[in-house]
Amino acid sequence: MTWRDAIRLAARTVRRRPGRAVLTVLAVTLAAALLTALLTISTTAETRVLEQLSSGGPLAGIKVAAAAPDPGQVDQDNASPGAPKSLDDAALTQISELPDVREVVPIVSSKVYVITPARDRDNHRIGPFVEDLVGVDLTRVSQLPITPVAGRLPSPGATSEIAVTQGYLERLGLQRVDAPQVVGTALQVASPQVVADGGQFRVRGRWVKATIVGVVAQEAGDGQFLASAEMVAQARDWARAGIDESRDLKLSTSPYTGLFVVARGIDNVSKVRAQITAIGYSTSAPENLIASVRRYLHVVEIVLSSVGIIALVVAALGISNAMLAAVRERRREIGVLKAIGARDRDVYRVFLLEAGTLGFVGGVLGTLVGWAIAEAVGRVVNGYLAAQRLVGVQLTLPWTVVVGGIVGSTLLALLAGTLPAVRAARLPAREAVGGG
Amino acid sequence: MLDGVDLDVAAGGYLALVGASGAGKSTLLSVIGGLEPAQSGSVVIGGQDLGGLSRRELATFRRETVGFVFQHFGLLEALTAAENIELACSLARVAPAARRAKVRDLLEAVGLADRARHRPVELSGGERQRVAIARALANGPSLVLADEPTGNLDDASTARVVTLLESLPADHGCTLVLVTHDLALAERASRRLRLRGGRAVEETVGASTPSGVVPSGVVPSGVVPASSPPTGRGMQERAAEPGETP
Repeated sequence: MTWRDAIRLAARTVRRRPGRAVLTVLAVTLAAALLTALLTISTTAETRVLEQLSSGGPLAGIKVAAAAPDPGQVDQDNASPGAPKSLDDAALTQISELPDVREVVPIVSSKVYVITPARDRDNHRIGPFVEDLVGVDLTRVSQLPITPVAGRLPSPGATSEIAVTQGYLERLGLQRVDAPQVVGTALQVASPQVVADGGQFRVRGRWVKATIVGVVAQEAGDGQFLASAEMVAQARDWARAGIDESRDLKLSTSPYTGLFVVARGIDNVSKVRAQITAIGYSTSAPENLIASVRRYLHVVEIVLSSVGIIALVVAALGISNAMLAAVRERRREIGVLKAIGARDRDVYRVFLLEAGTLGFVGGVLGTLVGWAIAEAVGRVVNGYLAAQRLVGVQLTLPWTVVVGGIVGSTLLALLAGTLPAVRAARLPAREAVGGG
Repeated sequence: MLDGVDLDVAAGGYLALVGASGAGKSTLLSVIGGLEPAQSGSVVIGGQDLGGLSRRELATFRRETVGFVFQHFGLLEALTAAENIELACSLARVAPAARRAKVRDLLEAVGLADRARHRPVELSGGERQRVAIARALANGPSLVLADEPTGNLDDASTARVVTLLESLPADHGCTLVLVTHDLALAERASRRLRLRGGRAVEETVGASTPSGVVPSGVVPSGVVPASSPPTGRGMQERAAEPGETP
C-alpha cells in the first residue's frame, strides 16, 4: 500500500468515528493549547523582564567609551575605562562594519553650567551647578537605553528643549512620582568657554533658556540632562573655541563621547564586545546580569513547559487508549485488510497514521487555541499595566513553540499509536472469517 | 477443527462446502485461503505449499492468488465502492491510472458503475456483495473463496450474486470454492463436499446424487474427476490423520 493510500484510508477512518475522534483530538488540543499558552506567556514575560533590566533599550546594546580598554576589566559588565582615546568617525565606521553589529548610535556630551529656578525642600534657592549635557540623535532613540518617565523626549534637532533624569529630581529633593512637577519648567543652561584676559583666565558662557519637556531614565551617557545632538554640538563647539579646554573644564578632544552599539541578538553581545575591545575601546554591557536573569527565567520556562508536556503525555495516553479500543472493535476489518493482501506493515502504517492524524490535528488546533488564550491573558495584563500607567506587553509567539507544539503533538501521538498499531499488525488474518 | 480432510480441486472447478454450523466449513476455507495455517498436513495451491510460506509471502499469496467474498461483505465502511476495489489494487501496487480503469471495468461488470461513489452504508446488501465480488477479482485471482455469500441477502439479490459468482470460472478462469448452508445453491456446484465435526463425510460430483459416506473422513481419490490435475491452478488440501506425521 502506498503512503498516499494509507493516509487517505487513515483520514477516512478517523472521520468515520467522529465522536471518538473529536474527544481524542480535544484532549490533544487542550494539552497543546496549555503548552503554547504557557510558553508564549513565559517567553513574553522573559522579554519584558529583560527589557526592564536594560532600561528600555535593546537587550543587545553595548556602550563604547572614548577610552582604551582596561585589560583587567574586560569581562565585567560595567568595565572601568582605561586611558582616554579619541572616538572618531573612522572608529565608528570600523565598528559599524563588524559582521554582528546591527546599528551604531553616536553619543556626545558637554559640561554645562545650570541655573534652576526650583527650590529645595527647605524652600532654599538651588545655586548654579555644573553637569553633563548628553546629546543623541533623537530620531534613533528607540535604539538607546532611554525611557520616558514623564512628559516626552526633546524633539529631534531642538536646541531649547531638554529632558532631565531622576538625578535632577533628587537634586531638587523630589521622588520619581513627582516627575510631572518639573515638566514644563525652564532652566538657564550655559556652555562655558575659557578665554585669556591679560594673563588671567576668564570663563564666559553661552546662555540658553531650555524648557524641560520630560523626565527620563537613561543610561546612554553620564549626565542629568538629555538633549538633541545638535544642541550639545553647539555647546561643545563654543567650549572648544576657548583655550585650555581639556584641563580646567575636562573637555574631551574626542569627536564622540561614546557609542551605543546594537549587536545582532543577545547571543552576539560577547563576541561584539571582544571585537570592539580588539579595535581598542572600552565597552560595557549588562550581559552577565541578563545571563543570570535568563537562567532563572529559563527555569520558570522549564517548569511551565513540564506542565504542558505532562498534559500532552496524558493526551497521548488517551490516544493510545482510543486506538487500542479501535483495534479491538476493528478486528474483522483488519482481518479483511489482510485477506485482500495487506501486509503486517500496511496495517501498522494505517493505524500509526490514524494516531498521527489525531495528534497533528490536535497540535494545530491546540497551537491556535493556545495563542488565543495567551492573547486573552495579554489583554488582561495590558489593561492592568495601563491602569498602573506602565507600558503594555507585546505578546510574541516564538516559531519554535508553533513548530514544537505541532510536531511534538504529532510525534507523541505516533509514539502513543505504536503499541495499538503493532497489535493491529499482529492480528491473524482469520479474523476476517466467522466460525462455521 | 479439521480432521483428515483430503481434497483435490481442479483449476476452474466449482466446489461447494456444506454442513451444519461448526462443521468446519469456514475453517477449511480459511486454511485454503492462507488466512489460517494448518496445524498438520499440507495445503498446496497452484503448486505452492502454504505451510512453507512466511507471513509476508502469505500476504503476497492472498493478494495475488486468492479473492475472498464474505457473508458480512467485508467492505471498509470509510471508503466508497470504487475505493474499496481500488484498495485491493493499491495493495498490489497497481499504478493509479491502471487502477482507475480496472475499478471502472469491474464495477461495470457487476452492474454498479453508477454506484462507484457510494459508501457501503448507502448500498443494498446485494450491491455490497457485488462490490465485494468486484474487489475479490481486482488482482485477477486464480481462486475465489466465498464464505456464505448469500447468507445476508434476499432472494432477488441472492439470484444475482449467485449468477455472478457462478460465472467466474467460465469468465475469469478461476476456481470457485463456496461455503453455504443453502442446499439448493450447493446443488448447482460441480462438486459438493459435506463436512461434519471437521471431517469430510460426503462428496457428490456433478448431479446432486450423493456419492456415499466416506468412512475414514478422507475423500477417496476416485471421486476427483480424472481430468483434474493434482497441481497447477487447482488446489490440493490434505490434513493429516491423527497420529500421522505431516
